Amino acid sequence: MKAILQTRFIHLKKHWGSLLFWLLFPIIATLTIMGLTNSLQQDSKVPVGIVVEETTPMALDLVDSIKQTPIIRVEQLSEDEALTQLEQHQLDSVFIIREGYEEQIKKGSRNRLIKSYRSDLSFAYSPIAEMVMSYVQQDTGRTKAVLTIQELSEQYANTGGNWTWEEIVDKSKAVEAEENLLQTSFTFLNAQTEEDANRFVLFNPWGVWAIFSILSTFMVMDWIIRERRKSLSPRFFFMRIALKSYLLRNAMLYLLLFIIIDIVTIAVFFKSLGEAVTLVLIFAVLSFRLTVLMGAFLLAIWINKLPVYYGFSFVLTLLIAIISGAILPTEGLISRYPWLQLGNPLAPFLSKEIGYEWNILFVILIAIWFVRKEKRNVKGA
Amino acid sequence: MLKVHNLSKNYGTRKVLRDINFIVNPGEVIGLVGENGAGKSTLLQILATLQKPTNGSLSLYERNFEDKKKLRKQIGFVPQEIALWDEFTVEENMVFFEKLAWTNRTKTQLKQLCLDMKLNRWKDPVKSLSGGMKRKLNIAISLIHDPDLLLLDEPTVGIDLKSRKEIGNYLKRLAKDEGKIIVYTSHDMDEIISLCDRIVCIGEDPFYKNLLEEAGKSIIPV
Ligand SMILES: Nc1ncnc2c1ncn2[C@@H]1O[C@H](COP(=O)(O)OP(=O)(O)OP(=O)(O)O)[C@@H](O)[C@H]1O
Ligand SMILES: [Mg+2]
Repeated sequence: MKAILQTRFIHLKKHWGSLLFWLLFPIIATLTIMGLTNSLQQDSKVPVGIVVEETTPMALDLVDSIKQTPIIRVEQLSEDEALTQLEQHQLDSVFIIREGYEEQIKKGSRNRLIKSYRSDLSFAYSPIAEMVMSYVQQDTGRTKAVLTIQELSEQYANTGGNWTWEEIVDKSKAVEAEENLLQTSFTFLNAQTEEDANRFVLFNPWGVWAIFSILSTFMVMDWIIRERRKSLSPRFFFMRIALKSYLLRNAMLYLLLFIIIDIVTIAVFFKSLGEAVTLVLIFAVLSFRLTVLMGAFLLAIWINKLPVYYGFSFVLTLLIAIISGAILPTEGLISRYPWLQLGNPLAPFLSKEIGYEWNILFVILIAIWFVRKEKRNVKGA
Repeated sequence: MLKVHNLSKNYGTRKVLRDINFIVNPGEVIGLVGENGAGKSTLLQILATLQKPTNGSLSLYERNFEDKKKLRKQIGFVPQEIALWDEFTVEENMVFFEKLAWTNRTKTQLKQLCLDMKLNRWKDPVKSLSGGMKRKLNIAISLIHDPDLLLLDEPTVGIDLKSRKEIGNYLKRLAKDEGKIIVYTSHDMDEIISLCDRIVCIGEDPFYKNLLEEAGKSIIPV
């Protein structure tokens, strides 16, 4: 293996630049795309102004609920600022939580709790208003319950103790949380829920990385074709290390190099994208790496010409990207032709599983290639 | 000692080599001549264990040709097509193939091997070398593991007279001083006449045979 390392080093001296580029390409491209889609997602959120005239817990709770709603971007500001920005169409709509919100609700009054403005270009006012009102509804609903209970406990004084408003609300929230009686999440037309977003490769850093990795692995492994050139092959018959063995051992060296880069990638994605590091992820990455590397190896020993190899690499990457839904949504296609997904080497990786079917197949193919006797026909003249 | 006994080779129904017999002693330079397509490269490749004869047997220093693995350590083969890493320097080419070779050589030894053949552009990339220089390096690489039998397929084709002489002189010295067996092909009759001890004429056509006999060369009957 020392000889392989030394001879590899002579080769790498000649094109370490392109090697470094392709090794780092998936990380950099993924970080770039994640940055872009993030800012794109931010931009596509509806900007909504919130003015809070009072700071009671109930009012702040309401603001929190609104802020946590997907699809909208909340800006908390003063009424004057809000209205100015609304005029300039920087905000879609403005909601003002009026002074005395909590008091009014506790009294059971439902009038004029929230004041709202919309610009003449507003396109999301109605759904957002409805959503805000639903949050208010929760508060008023609870209050109604409180009032009813208090009334009841007055009527049946012997049921024990006077419950305060807070106690009852807390109890009601606890029951809600426990029983999960009602959970609604609002969806707007054409908007994806969080879950969908994760399945869509473009919003999943490891999905993006996987596709770039396929391409970069193929590009890095082009050395096989360059070093398998016909003119040189007769030499290997008279050397300690035969050509096949030379190729296979070098591929192992590259596998090691890729694994190091993959570990760096896991660390980088954890640091800068907050991607969780789990044992399953690590093994899924390693198994995926093995699949792609062996795939590239097999392609490179099968194809003799570099341009053809590059062509195949691009087409294969594109094909896998398409059936993985990275470019076009393919749910319809996949549900009609499920085998498309079955054959997709990226599928197990995308669902964070450790795929081994392709690895087994590729190991068998490489083993066959290795033991098969080649027709020793060296064209001499 | 290289022994070829009753060797013949067919490609399908086509008979290329028929009943070839000869024995070569250490220190001899043997030339293979014949018209295009006569079977020179075929014979050379059979001697190099890269092709199997249809019939007959071969041995090198009593080692049968069935024992390919061991035999190849004793064989140096210079392919007709130049087999070098173009993007490497002379040094890198020599070091690369030394690392994968049967025998270890120091850098000084490798450099000396090149100098013996009057190849002195140690640090230059192969791309920048002349055809003659490339041919010399092509031979030098095949000699790294110090083989007993050196087979060369048109090693001097397309290069100037000076380089041809330098290569020829080197091969002759290799045979005379180190007792190597050298078998090589060429279409250059002057070179064959001045370099070879004995000659194998391949093919039916008596043209070469007559020509070489006139020049007083010893023809090996096959
Ligand atoms: N692998 C092969 N399959 C079938 N026929 C072959 C094969 N290799 C060579 N031949 C044929 O065998 C004959 C001898 O070929 P060979 O290359 O040995 O000739 P040669 O003497 O080296 O010719 P040249 O002077 O052109 O180099 C040719 O007619 C060639 O077409
Ligand atoms: Mg030939």
